[in-house]
Amino acid sequence: MILSAEGLVKTFPGVRALDGATLRLAAGSVHALLGENGAGKSTLIKILTGVYRPDGGRVLMGGAEVHLAGPLDAQKAGIGVVHQERNLIPEFSVAENIVLHHLPRRFGLVDRPRMKAEARRCLDLLDLDLDPDMPVAGLSVAQAQLVEIAKALSVDSKVLLLDEPTASLTGDEADRLYGIVGKLRDNGHAVVLVSHKLEEVFAVADTVTVLRDGHTVADAEPLAGYTQDQVVDLMVGRAYASVRLPERRVDPETPAALRLREVSTARGHRDVSLSVRPGEILGLYGLVGAGRSELAKALLGLDRITSGTVEVHGRPVRIRDVGEALRRHRIGYVTENRKEEGLFLDQPITRNIGVTVWRSLARAGLVTERAERRVVEEYADRLGIKASSPRQLAGQLSGGNQQKVSLAKWLAARCEILIVDEPTVGIDVRTKAAFHELIAELAGEGLALLLISSDLPEIVTLADRIAVMNDLAVRGELLNDHDYGRMSQAIIRLIHGDAR
Amino acid sequence: MSSPATTAPETARPPETRRPPRIPLWANPRLGLVVLLVALVVLFTALRPAFLDTTLTLVPLQSDISVYAVVGLAQLAVLSLGHMNMAVGSMASMSAFAMGLAYDRLGVPLPVGLVIGLAAGALLGALAGLIISRTGVNSFVVTLAMDFALVGLITILYTRFTDGVAFSGQPAGMTTLRNDTFADYCMGEVCGPRIPLIAPIALVAALAVGLLFRYGRLGREILMTGANEKAAELSGIPTKRRVLQAHALSGLLAGLAGFLLAANNGAFSASIGDQFLLPSFLGPVLGGTLLAGGAVSVLGTVLGATLTQVIYKGLNLLQFQLDELKLYIGLVLLVALSLDRIRHVIGERRGARA
Ligand SMILES: Nc1ncnc2c1ncn2[C@@H]1O[C@H](COP(=O)(O)OP(=O)(O)OP(=O)(O)O)[C@@H](O)[C@H]1O
Ligand SMILES: [Mg+2]
Repeated sequence: MILSAEGLVKTFPGVRALDGATLRLAAGSVHALLGENGAGKSTLIKILTGVYRPDGGRVLMGGAEVHLAGPLDAQKAGIGVVHQERNLIPEFSVAENIVLHHLPRRFGLVDRPRMKAEARRCLDLLDLDLDPDMPVAGLSVAQAQLVEIAKALSVDSKVLLLDEPTASLTGDEADRLYGIVGKLRDNGHAVVLVSHKLEEVFAVADTVTVLRDGHTVADAEPLAGYTQDQVVDLMVGRAYASVRLPERRVDPETPAALRLREVSTARGHRDVSLSVRPGEILGLYGLVGAGRSELAKALLGLDRITSGTVEVHGRPVRIRDVGEALRRHRIGYVTENRKEEGLFLDQPITRNIGVTVWRSLARAGLVTERAERRVVEEYADRLGIKASSPRQLAGQLSGGNQQKVSLAKWLAARCEILIVDEPTVGIDVRTKAAFHELIAELAGEGLALLLISSDLPEIVTLADRIAVMNDLAVRGELLNDHDYGRMSQAIIRLIHGDAR
Repeated sequence: MSSPATTAPETARPPETRRPPRIPLWANPRLGLVVLLVALVVLFTALRPAFLDTTLTLVPLQSDISVYAVVGLAQLAVLSLGHMNMAVGSMASMSAFAMGLAYDRLGVPLPVGLVIGLAAGALLGALAGLIISRTGVNSFVVTLAMDFALVGLITILYTRFTDGVAFSGQPAGMTTLRNDTFADYCMGEVCGPRIPLIAPIALVAALAVGLLFRYGRLGREILMTGANEKAAELSGIPTKRRVLQAHALSGLLAGLAGFLLAANNGAFSASIGDQFLLPSFLGPVLGGTLLAGGAVSVLGTVLGATLTQVIYKGLNLLQFQLDELKLYIGLVLLVALSLDRIRHVIGERRGARA
């Protein structure tokens, strides 16, 4: 065993994140670490990298116990990591971020040419065409993720821990990453992969450890012995039956709740026309970078619309900011970037959900905790948000629960038109299914939903119609017949501009 | 709130206590302040029994605490955003000038002049807020530049409108406000406590600010803007307006502090506010308000201001020189700032945020 952990226990106030977890890593293998949201995967990774000190249990390297007092200790011990959260310094350049912990020096000063060359080398590994001098603040979510990976690759570590590295990557980018992972394995490194995308896991991993409620239920088993369904059953703890979505019918005569007519934006969108009716789910499919989130933001007044009209319930509107979209037109936007744009990580759940309803709860400008609590608990219950208390900080929740919080505030505000951007990124199978059920249910209640997603199965499962976007324009629209094979081919054809 | 949304029965989980996460007691800044305060009072009294003399020490001490608690609140109003107001002093000074002018030249009654002064302060604050939210330039830089300009302007104005130092005219009631305590007002046999008349004004200000940030929609939205501006904007909060309002509140409170100091000193003079900057940070920071924004403590600010003034008074009684006083107060701030950082780090270690 190159690295192993035994009987790890870690308690946070109100939650036991790890409860006797074990992980055994062999050199020359890709090891999948699986579990539902909140199972304790990230906590385990953080213990192995010295971010958290365990309350019990031991960490061994090559058979000898090690005490990791901080992230630098782990790095010295040869453990590299890509955490689930971004850890880049926004003001620093790409190159500086990549070599941050081992700046090349000459005469005591930073050797800038060497630093850049080194960064270039790491970026090239990922085929990433980025200017090393560019500040990280200007990167997209996917680019930042790739830089983070490049940073981990810049040190030659015996053990590489990847916590959901592909959550915001396209298929191509993920493939490139897995190519590198394969090479590392062949060179005798050990790689741990945490991911909710089981197809990817089954394609690259050799062994698997499954965590459930903080303890290990499958301990370094060969992955070949399992089917995807069996792994899911292990994660969930019982036979898992996939949910059937409720049947919905949308009357094609219903007038659109939201309609875009040949909208062009300052961002470069050209003549985008879309419409979505109450009770309908319009899927907006495209690859990362197609301009879907930007379109949503332009709709909300965050970017300028240069021509065309936006109509809400048949009336042309001009929306200047999110507040106006919400209060005057009952439009809500669940962002894809929940950590930076969707949540107030240092604030309690109550504030995170309450923020959109204070205005309607306020009497003489004051909001009582009770009134807030009532609304918050109603929606927290409805979405099944799991927390030790409503006062728990949003940053301490697991990914799935965070996503629920960022959705709850719009439901609490009683939106009629909801734009949901990549709602299930980084979310486990069961929670994902629950989310799909919820989205279908919301549509059934008469919400008009615009579902932005790069997850093809998700779009085909949920949408009534699918608009395909590529390169800042809508390439076509399809009526969804829920036949995955046929729909996916039609969509791919549209993306490649082949109109047949 | 629990239970997953799917069809499943609750999965087995260790019993969850319904307790919000807590910082350890010893790291609670408010408690530490109270302990420190008591210790200092005991120490000073032991060294100089005159420290407990009502007329000599306690009454003026209360007046000073009132002024500097409000000064601290003025800074707290923008710390809520993670901003700074380097111009608290000159805003107070401009505000005091407006009041002095109104009393001296227009002969307005006391409350009217106060309203004029507060409006002047709020306006200056709003101007700073406007520039910050429009240009996106750091609040430190904007208010520092503003302070520079205002200090110049104040000298010019006082030379132009007064003998160069202070206004001579004063409204009726000013002397009472300065000299009386509630003990001077009796109903039959029962007289009030020996508390200066300006103390309740500061108390009301503190309660109002506390109420605003705890229960007020506006105050909460300001805090959310401080916690994560992008997310606040995407939640429908007009963040630019909130930035402006927080700075206006800061200016208004600076104006109030200017008024209280003028009432204490008995004159609307050019020197009002020139000692405000450091204490404005001391109160909130000692009281545990984070410089990063998103959370404030009004109680802590009042305690912090109290502690600072107790130290001032105590060292003063022990006949330390002004320069030494500055040295010690500066040291206290440094220690407090390091504690702020340490608390933060400990919070992180304990997993206060992932
Ligand atoms: N810093 C923290 N403070 C308090 N509780 C925490 C903290 N970090 C994690 N937790 C809790 O510990 C449990 C395990 O969280 P962890 O992040 O390890 O889950 P995970 O398996 O990585 O989930 P996901 O798939 O959503 O990333 C969760 O219930 C979470 O709420
Ligand atoms: Mg995780």
